[in-house]
Amino acid sequence: MDTIFNEFGVAMTRRNGYELAQTLNPELSDDMLRLVYKTANHASIKDLLKRHIRANTQHLPHVDLDEIQMWVDVFHCYWKTCGELLAIQDRSPKASWVKVYEAWKELFSALHRGYMSPKVELPAWTIPCLYIVGKYLRVFAMNADEERSNNPNQETTETNFQDDLDMEADKFVWLRDCGVQLNRMFTLCLNDRANLMESRKWGIYNVANLLFKTYFKVKSPDLCKNVLRAIIAGRGDMPPFEAIPKSQRVIFKYYQGVLEFLDENYPQAEEHLTEAWNLCHKDALRNKELILTYLIPCHLVTTAKLPSAKLLEPYPRLQQLFLPLCGAIKKGELHAFDLALQEGEDEFVKRRIYLTLERGRDIALRNLCRRVFLAGGFEPPKEENAQPLRRTRVPLDEFVAAIRLGSQEKLDSDEVECLLANQIYKGFMKGYISRPHNMVVLSKSGAFPPTGV
Amino acid sequence: MWSSVSAQNGQAGQTGAPSYSYPPPAYTPVQVRQNFAAAYPPPPPPPSYPVHVAYGQPQASLPPQATYPPAQVSPTPAQEQPKKKIEWPESVRRYVQRSFLPENLDPSVTRQEMELKLKETISQANDQGLMYQINWDAMGLPQQMIVAERKRAMNMAAQAASTDTNRDDSLATAATGMKLSKKRKSGDFASAESAPWRTSVDSGPSLEDRITNPSPEKRQATEEATAKNTNNFQKQLEKRQKRFDGGYRSTYRSPSPPPNNGLVVGTCQTLEKRYLRLTSAPNPALVRPEPVLKQTLELLKRKWRTEGNYSYICDQFKSLRQDLTVQRIKNDFTVSVYEIHARIALEKGDLGEYNQCQTQLKSLYQLGLGGHPLEFKAYRILYCIHTMNPGATNDILTDLTPAEKKDPAIKHALDVRSAVALGNYHRLFQLYHDTPNMGAYLMDMFVTRERLLAMCKICRAYKQDVKLRLITEELGFESDGQAAEFIIEHVGPQQVEEFLQTRGDDIHFLTAKASTARCFEGPAQLASKKVDIKGQI
Repeated sequence: MDTIFNEFGVAMTRRNGYELAQTLNPELSDDMLRLVYKTANHASIKDLLKRHIRANTQHLPHVDLDEIQMWVDVFHCYWKTCGELLAIQDRSPKASWVKVYEAWKELFSALHRGYMSPKVELPAWTIPCLYIVGKYLRVFAMNADEERSNNPNQETTETNFQDDLDMEADKFVWLRDCGVQLNRMFTLCLNDRANLMESRKWGIYNVANLLFKTYFKVKSPDLCKNVLRAIIAGRGDMPPFEAIPKSQRVIFKYYQGVLEFLDENYPQAEEHLTEAWNLCHKDALRNKELILTYLIPCHLVTTAKLPSAKLLEPYPRLQQLFLPLCGAIKKGELHAFDLALQEGEDEFVKRRIYLTLERGRDIALRNLCRRVFLAGGFEPPKEENAQPLRRTRVPLDEFVAAIRLGSQEKLDSDEVECLLANQIYKGFMKGYISRPHNMVVLSKSGAFPPTGV
Repeated sequence: MWSSVSAQNGQAGQTGAPSYSYPPPAYTPVQVRQNFAAAYPPPPPPPSYPVHVAYGQPQASLPPQATYPPAQVSPTPAQEQPKKKIEWPESVRRYVQRSFLPENLDPSVTRQEMELKLKETISQANDQGLMYQINWDAMGLPQQMIVAERKRAMNMAAQAASTDTNRDDSLATAATGMKLSKKRKSGDFASAESAPWRTSVDSGPSLEDRITNPSPEKRQATEEATAKNTNNFQKQLEKRQKRFDGGYRSTYRSPSPPPNNGLVVGTCQTLEKRYLRLTSAPNPALVRPEPVLKQTLELLKRKWRTEGNYSYICDQFKSLRQDLTVQRIKNDFTVSVYEIHARIALEKGDLGEYNQCQTQLKSLYQLGLGGHPLEFKAYRILYCIHTMNPGATNDILTDLTPAEKKDPAIKHALDVRSAVALGNYHRLFQLYHDTPNMGAYLMDMFVTRERLLAMCKICRAYKQDVKLRLITEELGFESDGQAAEFIIEHVGPQQVEEFLQTRGDDIHFLTAKASTARCFEGPAQLASKKVDIKGQI
């Protein structure tokens, strides 16, 4: 307890938000937890806290009684959380993550009051405290949800006047609540009208990232859009994005990119993801892997480019994910592509990239068609010494045969025509189909615009 | 000690006018009275009514005294309270008058007692809003009630005497109460109050309604209060009571119903009901129980077949669903209601309503209640294709098990999805003509869009022209005529000549021209805008 408040005093003196936040870190060793919790009981804790806090802030004239009282409240909640955590560690029958979560939520409320109350008006340099509160709020909420899913028999009976039943066995009761709390935190930061240098607005990106994580976890990524909208709307008087710590920017850009990706706005998605990629620390492999998971399919659609072996080298998981597909696309092997897509379907669907990767089939098809074209060889030269010309009038049957072989499916020629029409329409192939002659007439110059594959 | 008693009275909603009229010290052997009250449990107010307020001024609800001339009630403090202006129904006035008719008077009942009884009966009715429902003309007269009560009290005493060895004590205590006129009155009171519901012969609905229990907390409070005040004497009395009542608990009415948690069991017997959005707790009288709902479903099915009035059917189904919801009925019947409504909505192209059913079905299927989950999962995939919602599509794909993917309907829907995603119109329209169940209704929603997109491709890819036959076949039209109509609809009737030409036996569609004119690009784009439907998942 003493050490905590010594650190607290130092952080307050130095006005160092991150150090201050560390004093609220609930992730303590077992012994520390016990030590902290056992220093006092319910009756004595408040006085004890008051004594400690007062002693360590004596030399700071700006810390008045109201602020001390606020910190007493905060640390009181902290102490209670420690107690609940200890109960879990000791496997006490009354232990519950819900209680931990509730105690921690109370801590947040106490802190929230500190920021909102005109008497205290906690300065903005303390916002790292919010970060740590938000971080563990999420952790505790997830634990509480897990605990809940392990004991499913706690049916809640609520009266609702809705017309239809909402029976969705909700797996994320606490995490949703956490989302609400984080949203409060977000507004707390967003609506600070103080001078920019002393504004809590510096905290919005961090809190937004926490919100993104939460919303993705509860499977409602659409809610993120509200957060983005709020940030974009207030962009005028926000701290410049470049001034935000890089770690926060990477996460923010990543989520922004993924959100665009899910909406199939690939060019925007690529822009954000590339930015995240460039900002990402070179050793943060896990993060880079996450970014690439979306950036690669994105790139495939926007530029029809495949990742190089070198790029994938450090990521065995990505290799496993993408290499079979890439090989099939490169060689124009439709059947292999279909198999690879089917093989990885579960994983792709889980990462929400299946629908995007599916489009790779067009590129595989393009490569197959190109092979047909190349196999056609050259026109017999009309003049001596003339530049040899590729045969540009390819019989439809050749394509039919190639696609049948490639896909190992029985396709009729009409369907092949349909596929070719798609190729032409999408600009993978230049030329036209001539039905009367049963021919595909390709452009004499650049029938297959390069795709880089 | 006294305070607890009065509290008890107040809570119990007794017409405690006399007890209020005397200052506490006037009552020395309060125990007696208390025990009377306990022995004949006070009729507690129905918890939901604001009884305390109403009983606080019992006089206010008394009919104007002027209606019966010889009203010489000694003024009690309560009477001096300002009277509330209440319009007394004629029937009540008649009832009061009848009570005081000389031929009806009972010499054993004093005027005061009668007045109090009347007051109690009428104010009760007023508080419960039954003033106009009660048949006052058939209502028992107050003097009759009092006599009945006395008789019962006597019976009780006799019973007690026969079973209780300490009967002397009990009689003695009772007697102390009886001897003093004031005490006697209060004693009478205790019994008088209990009478109506004990007999419930002549009391009518108003008194029936009183037989409700105090809420558990109140009861506990009373118990505690009693316990505090208990001396030995009282304990003895209580023991005795217990003996002839069959236990402490029995001094109270049967346990109160469990707190209302929003669960309703309907009592409505009519088959048809208009849909109305609920804004408050449902009224059981307007909710149909499951057996009735089953009949309703049969009726609706019949009506849909014979009449086919969609707005009526939809409305009825919504109210049917509402009744299921408020009663929390979740079983195979629920599933079939939603399935049938979903199918009907599909048939009529009411995607909003369909989607609501679909959402519910999704969670109902998760409970494993039977029905046709595969059929509806297939619909859901088709629905997602229509709404072009990549997120939802992905979610469905996550949910599907390998076994489900082999189901013909789901496989069909997945194939459709892939054909749409890859722009394979050829395969799409082959699938379109071979749709299982009612999926075609859903596919109808997006075929036009896909046809337009396909037209763009055909125009771009074929030169110089194609036979109309190709379009008919590739885009799944039933005849060349339909295909031509489709083209005309989108290029405009004036320019038909430019794009459609007859050569020999065939009609040719000039694709190259249409491509340069970009006839289908605009409509295709328009059709591909996001589809927004209410109630989407």
